[in-house]
Amino acid sequence: MVMKPVPWQTGEICGPESAKSLTKPDVLKRDLSKAKKLLLIVGSEAPDEKHGKGDMVDYAIALSKAGKMDVIATGGAIKAFIEKGFEGAKTMGAMELAYRLQDPEWKGPHGRGPYDMIMIYGQPYYMQWTMLSGVMNFAPQIVPIALGRYFQPHAKWSFPNMKEKQYHTILDEILELVGGGK
Amino acid sequence: MDDSQPYYGAMFEGTSPRTGTDFRMKKKAYFKADEADTGLGKFKGLEVRIGTIVDDEWDEPMGPTPMPGPTTLRSWDHKILTKYQPSYMPYCQVCCLCTMGKCDLSGDKRGACGIDIKGQQARIVLAAANIGCAAHLAHSRHLIDHLIEEHGPRTELMQGPGTEIHAPVTRLVTGMRPRTLEDASLILDYCETQMTHTLSATATGQEGSWMDFESKVFHAGMIDQLSMEIADLAQVSTLGMPMADPDAPLVESGIGMMDMDKAIILTIGHNIVPAASITDYITEKRLNDQAEVGGMCCTAWDITRRDPKAKVVGPISWQLRFIRSGRADVVVVDEQCVRTDVVREAKKVHAPVISTSDKAVMGLPDRSDDPPESIIKELVSGKIDGCYISDHSIVGEVATKVAIALKPSRRKMKFFPSKKAIQKMAEDCKKCSECIRACPNDQNVMEAVLAAQTGNMEPLREVYKNCIGCARCESACPNDYDLHSWMVVAGEADCEDEKYMVRTGRGAIQDTEIRHVGQPIVFGEIPGVIAHVGCANYPSGGDDVHHMAEEFAKRRYIIVTSGCAAISMGHVRDENGQSIYERRSGAFDAGCVVNVGSCVANSHIAGAAIKIAAIFAKRNLRGNYAEIADYIHHRVGAVGISWGAMSQKAASIAAGFWRLGVPVIVGPHGSKYRRMLLGKADNERDWMVYDARTGERVPTAPGPEHLFYAAETVAEANVLTAKLVLRPNDTGKGRSIKLSHYIDIHETYYGFFPEDIWKYIRRETDIPITLKDKILAQMKENKWKERKIPDPTLLKEQVIGGGA
Ligand code: SF4
Ligand code: SF4
Ligand code: SF4
Repeated sequence: MVMKPVPWQTGEICGPESAKSLTKPDVLKRDLSKAKKLLLIVGSEAPDEKHGKGDMVDYAIALSKAGKMDVIATGGAIKAFIEKGFEGAKTMGAMELAYRLQDPEWKGPHGRGPYDMIMIYGQPYYMQWTMLSGVMNFAPQIVPIALGRYFQPHAKWSFPNMKEKQYHTILDEILELVGGGK
Repeated sequence: MDDSQPYYGAMFEGTSPRTGTDFRMKKKAYFKADEADTGLGKFKGLEVRIGTIVDDEWDEPMGPTPMPGPTTLRSWDHKILTKYQPSYMPYCQVCCLCTMGKCDLSGDKRGACGIDIKGQQARIVLAAANIGCAAHLAHSRHLIDHLIEEHGPRTELMQGPGTEIHAPVTRLVTGMRPRTLEDASLILDYCETQMTHTLSATATGQEGSWMDFESKVFHAGMIDQLSMEIADLAQVSTLGMPMADPDAPLVESGIGMMDMDKAIILTIGHNIVPAASITDYITEKRLNDQAEVGGMCCTAWDITRRDPKAKVVGPISWQLRFIRSGRADVVVVDEQCVRTDVVREAKKVHAPVISTSDKAVMGLPDRSDDPPESIIKELVSGKIDGCYISDHSIVGEVATKVAIALKPSRRKMKFFPSKKAIQKMAEDCKKCSECIRACPNDQNVMEAVLAAQTGNMEPLREVYKNCIGCARCESACPNDYDLHSWMVVAGEADCEDEKYMVRTGRGAIQDTEIRHVGQPIVFGEIPGVIAHVGCANYPSGGDDVHHMAEEFAKRRYIIVTSGCAAISMGHVRDENGQSIYERRSGAFDAGCVVNVGSCVANSHIAGAAIKIAAIFAKRNLRGNYAEIADYIHHRVGAVGISWGAMSQKAASIAAGFWRLGVPVIVGPHGSKYRRMLLGKADNERDWMVYDARTGERVPTAPGPEHLFYAAETVAEANVLTAKLVLRPNDTGKGRSIKLSHYIDIHETYYGFFPEDIWKYIRRETDIPITLKDKILAQMKENKWKERKIPDPTLLKEQVIGGGA
């Protein structure tokens, strides 16, 4: 079961609202052009997930630089950023973050918020699912974009359970879209 | 014992100084006689209740809130819930509880009854807490009724030597000292009433505010804690379990420990009564060389507490792997956490199931009134797959005789496919990914199956290590592969090697132990008390629990444990082949690992915190909930961790701790409780307290920062644990010790020096000496100012002189 915008974990279906299928980067253009403050949220699985010659932490660093995004690492992923010499990331718990994002005035640990768009990946699927539920239901000011491979129904945009190769290609295209390049 | 004399118990009445309402506990006299010869004639099985009331002899003054109702402690709850607000993460945006729905509650919509999405989420949390509370309470009620029947109502309740303050939770909540089983029954009457109220609040058209739902969640949690204390107190008093004994015996544990030369009886669940009937029968009939009993989940702890020859097979999520291995000749289930497909699974391996609890009959025919011999015959012949026996006194005989009769033929059977057969079957895999999508732990079962096609079983073995045994993968597989069994075959060697010694549950903590550690805990010199409790829904195997416990035990925190977490913690051997229980003492002291026992023994963990307030601070416990909770919240650096929390019972246990102001961390699956209770560290107003000495409102550092929190990883849980033990009342020395550990753990797991240390420095004496320069620099950078160390309280009435 791939390439369908249905929850990756079969039981994790949602309510009346569900994410749109992110199959090409261009669909993000409109939201990106409107977004003033972007936050990239990277979970504990990112250091173990390969991307190109590096891993998904390297991708986060590139995306953050390209899109001038603040990075918050959850679940201890911060250690990987520090080991790679990237100073710009801060650490917070996933649950804490899902809560604080609900406050439209929240400036975040970098002091540069409030954020109106988040990009997120790297937490256990079900945990990101609950985090995004908090954001979708109680932080309507935020446009959440899930950048994990599997469909997250509580985001605004999410990949439809992509094949691995295709997924990594589209990630690179998104990087280009926000201003980075190969 | 002589039951023919009338028994007079305690009575409480008066006016609550807090609410102005009358509280009155009339306790009726009660007696029972097997046979009585009276002026009216001869009676058999006589039971008499008389409305006689006599005075209680307890001289401790009654506090303001004995036997609180659902709103009595509302103002305390609101204080806590203002500091730690709920963060809801709805599972869906609809409500389908009544026929006016389904109602779409997304955005700012309201349901037909007027409820909004926050209220609805809080209602679901309350429903879960009620379910959990009901499970423990019904268990407790069954035990008490049974024990009164067996031992008589005047049987004394005791927790063991050195526990003068026995039943601290009961004293605190009810204002009563439960001295007999009859008292226990009375307390359960109170619990049952309260639970009916909190459950009723979830009905359509009752409670509407999230805050009040959440307050009732706390109430259900407190009632749950009380009913658990009563259950454990009663069983410890009557069933020959260790009594507050730090040297409770080491018992054998693990699948590999089961002696396959004997007939094996597997008991699953939480209620000791049927399981005790089996171990008693085996002992009485001297059948120890022919049969043995292994338990899973809390029944395992309680049977080994009663009979250390019994064995702890494993935590609850090992059920399927053990049943399917065919090692159990008979499966006896009691209540709570039992796999509901147990009969179907046991049938596959020709093991009959005996259900023993009216809460989990499992569709089996009722043979309660039949003679044992006829039941045994039907079970051995396979005429029935199992049966329900409500008369626990015959369970022992039936289970043992059936197991012994079936053993010879069952030992010749083979239950798992061979590796070769798996390899062959795996060739037909459709590569559909359904197994992965079904797996709660996102295990790549498909890849493991594809590897098995080539004869490589290693990936399946890896899956086995991270597997919680739910079998959702095989339910989803279109080829109907027995995927979980395949994993067990791949992990066969690991399974055989599961041999550990674990310390069985000791029961309560002694007053003398509290006297010894109370001060260092309150002052912060013993940096914290960490309680690992709860279920086995682990994100990646049970070893994590051991890892976390060892990390803090070696730093001289006190580790307390119970339930499945206590089993998993013992299932790791060090280089000398020893488990954590063999390496560390079972005393309530720095660096020790204290297994209190089964789920219901969790109450002793709360009890220890409560006793610190009573013994070290000499506070009155009696009916004095808010003051004691306020004390614990500000002074006792305790943290509960339920890494594999799964059940509604875990939710209600946590709620009992929340009301006492004790923070609880759960594993990542705990995010599915859909509601966290989180503080805002940067919101200074939230951390203001009264200084009880002056009545002044003073700022404190956020401690504990959160009340309920799902951690994504072990790393995060460790860092958070080290932080959540901080309390406003720490002395300078205590604070500096706690901070040194927090810094060290933060650097180890996050790779850098924490940026918030300055917030926790009140005076220079708080600074860990070896890190002084670094911390001083951070303080300077953040324009740190010296703060006083208050005598912290959230309760104005605690201010000396009444806070006027
Ligand atoms: S309980 Fe209320 S919200 Fe739920 S279905 Fe009924 S009317 Fe709708
Ligand atoms: S049985 Fe194990 S591998 Fe299968 S779905 Fe459950 S946890 Fe995953
Ligand atoms: S569900 Fe069954 S058929 Fe599908 S990939 Fe998994 S093992 Fe293969």
